[in-house]
Amino acid sequence: MSAGRSGLAERLRRLRGPNNEGVLALILLVLIVGMSIANPVFFTLPTAFSIMRSAIVPLIFALGVLLVIISGGIDVSFAAIAVFAAYTTVRVYGSGAIDLGLIGAFAMALVIGGMLGAINGFLIARFRLPTLIVTLGTQGIFKGVLLTYVGSRYIADLPSAMSWVSTTNLIEVTTDTGRAYLHVMVVPAIVLTLVLAWVLRRTMFGRSIYAIGGDAEAARRAGIRVVRTQVWLYVIVGMMAAIGGMIYMIMGRSASPQELVGGELDIIAAVVLGGASIFGGRGSVLGTVLGVFLVQVINNSLILAGVPSAWQRAAVGVLLLVGVGIQAVTARGSGRAALVHDAQEVTV
Amino acid sequence: MNAVQEKNPLKRVNAEVDSRWTGLVERLHVDRSARRMLLLVVVAFAIFAALKPSVFLSGINLQNIAISSPEIGVIAIAMMLAMLTGGIDLSLVSIANLSAITMSTMFTAIAANNPDQAEQLFPLIVLVGLVVGLLGGAVNGLLVSRLGITPILATLGTMQIYNGIAVAWTGGKTLYGSPAALTSIGQSTVGGVPTLFVLFVVVAVLVGIIVKRTPLGLKVTLQGANPTAARYSGINSRAVLMSTYLLTGTLGGIAGVLFLARNPTASADYGASYVLLVIVIAVLGGTNPNGGFATVFGVVLATLTLQIVSSGFTALRLSAFQYSIAQGVILIAVMVIDQVQWRRRPRARRAAAVSS
Repeated sequence: MSAGRSGLAERLRRLRGPNNEGVLALILLVLIVGMSIANPVFFTLPTAFSIMRSAIVPLIFALGVLLVIISGGIDVSFAAIAVFAAYTTVRVYGSGAIDLGLIGAFAMALVIGGMLGAINGFLIARFRLPTLIVTLGTQGIFKGVLLTYVGSRYIADLPSAMSWVSTTNLIEVTTDTGRAYLHVMVVPAIVLTLVLAWVLRRTMFGRSIYAIGGDAEAARRAGIRVVRTQVWLYVIVGMMAAIGGMIYMIMGRSASPQELVGGELDIIAAVVLGGASIFGGRGSVLGTVLGVFLVQVINNSLILAGVPSAWQRAAVGVLLLVGVGIQAVTARGSGRAALVHDAQEVTV
Repeated sequence: MNAVQEKNPLKRVNAEVDSRWTGLVERLHVDRSARRMLLLVVVAFAIFAALKPSVFLSGINLQNIAISSPEIGVIAIAMMLAMLTGGIDLSLVSIANLSAITMSTMFTAIAANNPDQAEQLFPLIVLVGLVVGLLGGAVNGLLVSRLGITPILATLGTMQIYNGIAVAWTGGKTLYGSPAALTSIGQSTVGGVPTLFVLFVVVAVLVGIIVKRTPLGLKVTLQGANPTAARYSGINSRAVLMSTYLLTGTLGGIAGVLFLARNPTASADYGASYVLLVIVIAVLGGTNPNGGFATVFGVVLATLTLQIVSSGFTALRLSAFQYSIAQGVILIAVMVIDQVQWRRRPRARRAAAVSS
């Protein structure tokens, strides 16, 4: 009997996941079921597709932020990198100087994003500066350089190499509640998610990021090249931000250099909600995906429930506090408090 | 310093070299960061005064610097206090806006029935604004000290909540209306200096006294320097953190009063760029974001530096975007120079160990 119970407890613990992914999935499920009962419109394909569509860009940003948070840092410059890379690409293509098709456009954005990320990585790894402060500084620089030297004009129509994707849907279904479209840009988002999950779990690079986030000094003594890994990490995060920026502009069918910047903290909130530890060393792709979807579903539910959209921010704030509050209280109970307390010294 | 007054740009470079040298000499002193900031203020002022004296040195421009600094400066001082304990307070601007919105709504509501009474109740209205700040800080304090949520996450959450309440309350619109007495304070001067700036200095001095001269200040500093040691020294961490966030919240409320005194309007998204700007100011002013070290004087000077650079850029007809570049470059340059100097110190054995 007791063996059976402990077996059950073990199974439950495994279901809960290392970063409370199970709990998150359960909340998401309860929310979806609850909303579907309360409002039948919610449980339809158009709603599901529109939630997926709205989650694409936040998800890509969140995955980049996840990488940085696992490594023990915080990045507030990714939105500036995203808009810099994407807007510059649109400008160059629009001027007719280069036209290498859609692939070329993405490649160009990736190079720009990677270079900007390298600046972050160099400053953080070489000088050991606090990540929040460095990315705060580079955010201002990137945004300023973009608006001063690249352009500050709103571009209403994208170059033809990119605009044809804007209206391309992967799936089009006609249901009795209306037509449902799934934008083709979910494909890169899904591919990126899967690749990142594989990198974090199965590659030396991925494990090094966890090790550095857990304890940089221990990672160095274990033979991990901390500086090199960190620089590459920020290059990759810059590239991911660039992809997010490109998809954002393609789906929005316009390019504005003033957008995206300012919403960084919302993305960080979603990642933390997904169970990533702000102290580094903990976090998972699955948790982040769930965190992003939870925020999107709640936003969507609030609209359907007739709550003014003004309350969305507050709702996400409450959700974040409840999420981390539970984490903090349980951590204290299970004796990890000392660990958390010591780790507080190295935050920010 | 004489070199800076001349208009030759080469002399400017010279002045910078000079300042580096002085900076190196001053490494020996304890209050290095405050001295460096003093130098930075003088250099920044001298550069813009030399490049565009007609606009930059005009009374209106100097007045503008003095009027725009206080609200940012008070929030930056609050940020400094949170950082002193090793935390951070992202909710400050939202608290300030909420406080300004409360005051404006209250005034408009009373004035709708009786305009004279609304003017007479001016002190009460300001008091309510401060209480809103205090309550906002109390929520942060409870989350951080009782529940043990990391400050950056706790205040990220409350920032969203306070801002959400403000947006829902105002419907995203700008509210008009504030006691005439408050507006006239905002426009008055004391011996040529705007009253708002005098208030800023008073707040700074008070916080400075709290940090340097009271048991609470000592406890806050120790808590930030080494939480474990502080705990074993019998310091009640919870009480210290609670007091800190009560204080930062109240300072947020004061900033709300300053918002309303400067402009008789209140909105949910006023000063949205301040959140990150005040972190820049606090760090520039010599605050250690990991806790344990900060000077109010340094933060005041950092506020002035950024306002001088901002208005100097305007005087030179440079855009706000170029100012944003300058802000980022200044922040990173100061951090890098700090780090390089810290590593050169022979005492810092840890640096040698880590830097391989």
